[in-house]
Amino acid sequence: MIKKRIIITLTFLNGVLFRTKNFKPDYRYTKNFVDLWSIDELILIDISEKKFSKNFLELINFFSRNCFVPISVGGGIATLENADILFKNGADKVVLGSGAINKKDLIEKISKKYGNQSIIQSVDCKKIHKNNRYTVMGSSGTENLLQNPIEFSINALARGAGEIMINNIDNDGSLMGYDLKLIKMVSEKINSPILALGGAGNWQHMLDLLSKTDISGACTQNIFHFTEESIFSAKKFLKDNNIKVRN
Amino acid sequence: MKLGVIDLNTGNLASLLSALDRLNLKYVICRNDLDFEGVDKIILPGVGAFKDFMKKISDKKFDKILIDKVKKNTSILGVCVGFQILFSSSNEHGDYKGLELLKGNFVNFKDKDINIKVPHVGWNECDIINKNQLFHGIKNNSDFYFTHSYYLKDYNIENVVSQTKYKLDFVSAINKENIYGVQFHPEKSQSNGLQILKNFYERC
Repeated sequence: MIKKRIIITLTFLNGVLFRTKNFKPDYRYTKNFVDLWSIDELILIDISEKKFSKNFLELINFFSRNCFVPISVGGGIATLENADILFKNGADKVVLGSGAINKKDLIEKISKKYGNQSIIQSVDCKKIHKNNRYTVMGSSGTENLLQNPIEFSINALARGAGEIMINNIDNDGSLMGYDLKLIKMVSEKINSPILALGGAGNWQHMLDLLSKTDISGACTQNIFHFTEESIFSAKKFLKDNNIKVRN
Repeated sequence: MKLGVIDLNTGNLASLLSALDRLNLKYVICRNDLDFEGVDKIILPGVGAFKDFMKKISDKKFDKILIDKVKKNTSILGVCVGFQILFSSSNEHGDYKGLELLKGNFVNFKDKDINIKVPHVGWNECDIINKNQLFHGIKNNSDFYFTHSYYLKDYNIENVVSQTKYKLDFVSAINKENIYGVQFHPEKSQSNGLQILKNFYERC
């Protein structure tokens, strides 16, 4: 039976590992903290102003040489050539920001060259409090794309994305738990693997996510969640609560 | 023994090479026909669509080389789409012929059940049906990393090494004589995956 994936998301500013809060850099760490053997998958996001720097490409290379799990890489991908550089340096998949949906033929071109399985479409959402509805945000969460998350996801998948990663920007770094309402709303309408990001503060939040929705993977970027024994203990907790995870 | 890794310039060869480096296994990269000189063991990694992958192979005339090498007893390990093209055909984006070294056709999981989530992405168990050197030292039902949307039908059951459950049981590893193939990515499956590559190098 397929296992639920526990995925680590690492954000880098000028080659330095940061935790983010509401999409802004917060605490800094070192990559040596990461326990490379317990994780199921790794996502590396570049939040630097200057993208595709030598620094960042070397980081992808470092992880590719040291942990034999899938590595997805994102941050500022606007052309097929941008994606080419990331794949060449060790990425197995690319993560496209929500704004990439407006780049003509970008998803189509990447999926034609590398396959649907090589694209994770990030769906960065925000709740509009006036009408209590969700909207998708582009440009690192600053620009309202005026699209609802379900239609947005269906469109991305039809164009060639393989997986959807849902994030509520307001939950990013909050440690208050995932936005289950949003995640459920999207996952019920979509027939592809879905990952959720944003808000994991403890193992119970992961359990809530994996037991109350039928998504494929839980992402966390809280450093305390993946140092030393912690992924191991998270998996034990999930297993004890009847969630199928990899040993 | 000389191991050749085929490079068709599709996607990420880097992770497979990292895995071989980690195991201290020596290899040459095969980018054109001259590179196959003296090669007597081959890994054929593959990503992307069946049709595009097969076209790249035939454009470079690697299809003839591979079929010829296999006849002359060179062991080959196909990975993911490299596994799929060892077989007769796939209906991905039409109906396309593979290398036809093994009998079987690939169809989409959605042809079986429209509600199955595709691609099948993630860690899943390999249930070993027939004991094989490829899985030497690997516990039954160990997890490997998969990412694919098509599964094998109309195959010879006696060639099946392992199967995996994703709503239905599909073939995840195969072996007939010197032909080996795995649907999962050994280079992305940590210790178990590294062991598969080591086994192929040392035992197959």
